[in-house]
Amino acid sequence: MNGWVLAATVELAGGGAAALWGVTTGPTARRVVAQNLTTAALCPALLLLAQGYGRPSYVDLALLLALLGPVGTLVFARLLHEDLEGQRPSAWGLTYAVAAMGAVVVAAVCAATGPGRAMVKLLVIGALLVGGNLIASRALSGAFRGVRGG
Amino acid sequence: MDEAVILVALLLVAGAATAAVAQRDPARQALVLSVLGVLLAVLFTVLQAPDVGLSQLAVGAVLTPLLVMLSVRKIRRRGRDRDGAR
Repeated sequence: MNGWVLAATVELAGGGAAALWGVTTGPTARRVVAQNLTTAALCPALLLLAQGYGRPSYVDLALLLALLGPVGTLVFARLLHEDLEGQRPSAWGLTYAVAAMGAVVVAAVCAATGPGRAMVKLLVIGALLVGGNLIASRALSGAFRGVRGG
Repeated sequence: MDEAVILVALLLVAGAATAAVAQRDPARQALVLSVLGVLLAVLFTVLQAPDVGLSQLAVGAVLTPLLVMLSVRKIRRRGRDRDGAR
């Protein structure tokens, strides 16, 4: 087992267990936040796994997750807005911490790949991950309330 | 030692699946289902089947919760209309 897979295991265990605990307990608002953070916690793990197995094509999974994860969260923000009325689900400290961790992982994998098209792809994934996560968190906390009716 | 990551993924999937069954509210079930979809995709990746993981990611993380949530909303609206008619 090399260091990349070890890091992925630690990230998977920590992030996955925390997300699972958050999504199964507590009020609906907390569950939605935990579901949102699942994407941000597991996408870097997929990147680390791709690097650890030495298979650049596995990066596609992380790309798809970074693209679709926020979409899933937006679905919940839109369809659960009656339940979330009045409470503003947000955990900004956690959100920024997870986003920073994703950025660190992307930077580390970028440094390992070296310049080229693969690095551009990794940077796109990082931008999608951090941007999508912040947008989804804002949508959950009710920043786009005008768009959410109906 | 590569089995450690497989074990972690398996345990997480088992935990998430059990939790999804144990929830009572369909909306909360959909939230757990979405997490389960992502975890299953990770498990497939760890087992060296990323093509299965790709489709699982699209279906499990977005499509299934969307279908469940749309049905829940429709049923809630129908129930409310019926209550209003009485």
